[in-house]
Amino acid sequence: MNLNFSPVHFIAVPLFAAFLLPLLGRISQKLVTLVPGIVLLYLSAVALTLFPQAYNEPIVEIIAGWRPPFGITLVFGPLAAFLVTMITLIGFVVWIYSYRFIIRAPLEKYYMLFMLLIAGSTGIILTGDIFNLFVFLEITAIAAYSLTAFLRDHNGAEAAFKYLLIGSFASAFVLLAIIILYANVGTLNMADIAVRMGDVPAKIKLTIMILFIVGLGIEAELFPLNGWAPDAYSQAPSPIGAVFAGIVVKAAVYALMRVLFTLFDLPTSSHFLVVMGTITLLIAEMSAMRQQQIKRMLAFSSIGQMGLVLVAFGLGTREGIAAALFLMFSHAIIKTLLFFSAGYLVFFSGFKNISDLEGVGREKPWTGFFFSLGALAIIGLPPFSGFWGKFYLLISAANASHIFLIVLILFSAVIEAVYYLRVVGRLYFKKLHDIEIRRTPFTGLLAMGILAIVTITIGVYPDFIYELVLPAADELLDKAAYLQYAMMGQ
Amino acid sequence: MEQLLNIPAILAIAFAGSILVFVTHLVLPRLRTAVVLLLTLVPAYLVWQLPVDSPMVYFSLGGFDLSWGTNPYSRLFSLLIAGIGVLSTIYSLAFMKNKARLGFFYLAFLATIAAMYGIVFSQDLLSLFFFWEIMTWSSFLLVIYYRFENQQAGIRYFVFSAVGAYALLTAIVYLYSFTGDLSLAATFRVIPQLSTTQLSWITVLFLLGFGVKSALMPMHVWAPDAYRSAPSPFTALFSGVLSKMGVFGMGLVLFKFMGGLEPGHIIREVLAWMGGITALLGTFYAVFQTDAKKLLAYSSIAQLGYIIVGLAIGTPMSVMAAIFLALMHGIFKSMLFMGVGSVFHQTGSLDLNELTGLIRRMPLSFVTVLMGIITVAGVPPLGGFVGKWLLYESLITSNHYFLVIVLFTSSTAAFLYLYRLIFSIFLGQEEREFDHIKEVSWVMWVPMLILAGMTLVTGILPGIFFGPIAEAMQYLGFPQIDWQMSVLFNPWGNQVDMLSVITSIATVFLLGLAFITWKNFRTTRYVTTKDIHTSGEMPTENENLTYAIDFYRPFERAAAPIFKYKVTRMYASFAENAEHLFDLLRHVYTGNAQTYALYVVIFLVILIVFSGWIFGIQI
Repeated sequence: MNLNFSPVHFIAVPLFAAFLLPLLGRISQKLVTLVPGIVLLYLSAVALTLFPQAYNEPIVEIIAGWRPPFGITLVFGPLAAFLVTMITLIGFVVWIYSYRFIIRAPLEKYYMLFMLLIAGSTGIILTGDIFNLFVFLEITAIAAYSLTAFLRDHNGAEAAFKYLLIGSFASAFVLLAIIILYANVGTLNMADIAVRMGDVPAKIKLTIMILFIVGLGIEAELFPLNGWAPDAYSQAPSPIGAVFAGIVVKAAVYALMRVLFTLFDLPTSSHFLVVMGTITLLIAEMSAMRQQQIKRMLAFSSIGQMGLVLVAFGLGTREGIAAALFLMFSHAIIKTLLFFSAGYLVFFSGFKNISDLEGVGREKPWTGFFFSLGALAIIGLPPFSGFWGKFYLLISAANASHIFLIVLILFSAVIEAVYYLRVVGRLYFKKLHDIEIRRTPFTGLLAMGILAIVTITIGVYPDFIYELVLPAADELLDKAAYLQYAMMGQ
Repeated sequence: MEQLLNIPAILAIAFAGSILVFVTHLVLPRLRTAVVLLLTLVPAYLVWQLPVDSPMVYFSLGGFDLSWGTNPYSRLFSLLIAGIGVLSTIYSLAFMKNKARLGFFYLAFLATIAAMYGIVFSQDLLSLFFFWEIMTWSSFLLVIYYRFENQQAGIRYFVFSAVGAYALLTAIVYLYSFTGDLSLAATFRVIPQLSTTQLSWITVLFLLGFGVKSALMPMHVWAPDAYRSAPSPFTALFSGVLSKMGVFGMGLVLFKFMGGLEPGHIIREVLAWMGGITALLGTFYAVFQTDAKKLLAYSSIAQLGYIIVGLAIGTPMSVMAAIFLALMHGIFKSMLFMGVGSVFHQTGSLDLNELTGLIRRMPLSFVTVLMGIITVAGVPPLGGFVGKWLLYESLITSNHYFLVIVLFTSSTAAFLYLYRLIFSIFLGQEEREFDHIKEVSWVMWVPMLILAGMTLVTGILPGIFFGPIAEAMQYLGFPQIDWQMSVLFNPWGNQVDMLSVITSIATVFLLGLAFITWKNFRTTRYVTTKDIHTSGEMPTENENLTYAIDFYRPFERAAAPIFKYKVTRMYASFAENAEHLFDLLRHVYTGNAQTYALYVVIFLVILIVFSGWIFGIQI
């Protein structure tokens, strides 16, 4: 085992690369496209190497030599390992896809922001320090605002403004929560906070929790805080839409869950999450039904899926959290696939509207095929990974005797089936109007192909992921163990 | 060979086969036919060879213990799948020749067959559902195969299937929350401990799920268009076998799960009546159809109604009748769809008002359809008679007189559409435009005639089905049933010896034939349709002597008020209203940043103000 690998690399390397990219841009544009790929490949290698270790015994890295609770720690346990590996791998696939995706503006900006997004998201997951979490949240958010406005058109600017406005609420609330927290417990280390939480008066505790829920809920796309999401998703370049759905939201949900599970006693608030998740799910799916633009539709579907994840977390049982993690993984894969293929469908037809996609699937069989496959997968049909996520969730809902919840989830699945199949239908059924025939670059097809193979493989043999999410779920539930190793360091 | 005789191998070959065909089509299209044939025949042969008591296969997937195995009940259905699957595949080889996207077609076709094998071999609810859904989407792909006009039909089929499947899924996870084990065996053990209410809910959900696939009214709305839209070889499989998966599931639920629901239980009675109404209305709708495949589609719905009645009544004889009819329906409906499909293949039309006088052009298709409609009508000597006889008798002995009347009416009314089908297509005036029509190639008529032969054999020797059915029913929990190869009994001591029935019919038929031949031998003269000068009138070339158009106009006019209220319209308006509602809700997302900011603040305020109620702590 190479001992030089350390969780710090997940943050330091992309951050360093982000600052290096503008300089490299002076030398060669080729380097600008290649370096992020190398970085992500390296991070994936690190993640996969550290993976077994993290599952054996969590790795705790201390920054700058200050031992906890004073220094900043990075905690690389099963949960963090699972999510970070997922993020780096998805990031790498996004890079493959972006490699030949037409980007008009300077490449170094795009890749720099992309690297910041990766650094921020992994940082959110790894950090053991609440203020550090806020910093990474801000890094991610700022990179995300800029990327939303990346195409520099009117709509992009408007979407970015909305995102910025709502995002600043999120920052303010989270910061406020941290300040109150610090005033009461006098520490910023999450494990240390959790230990001292008992001394905090119940009312203050509750205020802090509400502020965290609202602040982090904005980033985690909780209804009704998610108004920014459809615009941001649909105006950002397609690969970035995939990054939002596959990476950024996942990190935000993790942050919310880490705070709720580790700092607060979840059981009192669990019904809240189930109810809010269900509302998020239903409203999002219903809104998706009549969307005119394909990427907006995908955005709403993505919000809906996050609703499912929140429900699963909210159940608060081991299998519920495992289901949530499985759903997160499966959604990251499938929604990325959908954004990728939708990106090219939009690109080929030249329009963003669903009605303008008629017949594109017949002209571009592979892109159309991948979109259709993604649609079947996200509806939750076997043998794709989406099925298992939903099945685990339903099983845990049934075990918690939430029968009505099952009915609502399945009802939303029917709506989902209708609007996805309508798009799939349009791709093939209608006559093609004149569009310019352009080739899908090989890298684009490769990226989609990888994701399609992954979703089918997991669909046929879910144990790959299921065995990984169980220890991760244990970690989130077993607060005592977390406190122990996060405090001790090694 | 021996090593391949187990279920995982069969399923692996069947599923890998569908992908292999797709790849072959891309790489070596010339080998496609051979590969398709091989990959249908090999799994079918293996299924045929599979012993009834082959060892169960246990394995674990995704944290659940799954198992696959065979039993007499699943063997019966697996043979139906294998038989009709092979024949319709062979038929499709000629039917789909020179069509586009054959790789896609066979991928979905073979995947559907493979998924159906999976369903019958599943010994746990998760695999059952898994394969069930694969079957749904692969058959959906075939329904939309012709793309253009079929989107509506396809989506309707999918949505109904999804609702059905999710009803199944709800029942499955609900059961799992009691059992903690998905295997059928564990489920059977736990079920007696459930309360009546729980049991009823589970039963209803299961029946809803399986009812959708077997097109039980009022969940039948998807069926006519879906059957109509799919390519004929697949419609044969779809109506013949795929709809039987619903019957398979209902059998499991009604007898294995719900042993507690004794005959006469309210759920059983309601289900029986739904079946009866399905049979009656399906028949009436069929009479009005002017499209041959739609006519058969409604007929199929009606026939499944009979089967469901038999299952729902639940006496040994009615169940035997139901399973017998299910097998028969698999045979004769595939055969009819193939026959009509052949006509479509040669003429390009399914319109009963347009087709006419094809008997001399397509004699073999005519024979197929003729045998088919005799079987549907339940007239001796073909197999349909046996099934209906058993069904009526079981209804009478279990005191369901009113249902007998309903079914009998439906059965009689069936003659109307059956006659229309054969008359419009094959009889009547021969038209010039069909002069060039030839019989289909042997690849298509051989499967058709094999099935036609089956109806005759089962008519004479119904015992070849009774044996396996009796074993299957023992698995379902019925006592040993006595049966004989070709004799039907009734409780009043009468018996019908099918052999003597056959002999007498054959004798009369042959004598009649001999008599006519002998009497008219010298004076026989072949005439064309319009050669009727002996009637005292010379029709002109363009004069219409065919009465196939507006066949049942008076009947339609009489029945029109009843059929004004269509359940389809109800669903459509429901969907429309739901969509309007969604559209209203969508405006929660105004697109205005200030509004979104307001939402955030309001949400925060609500959380703080109602924190006591939401989190149980007061601020």
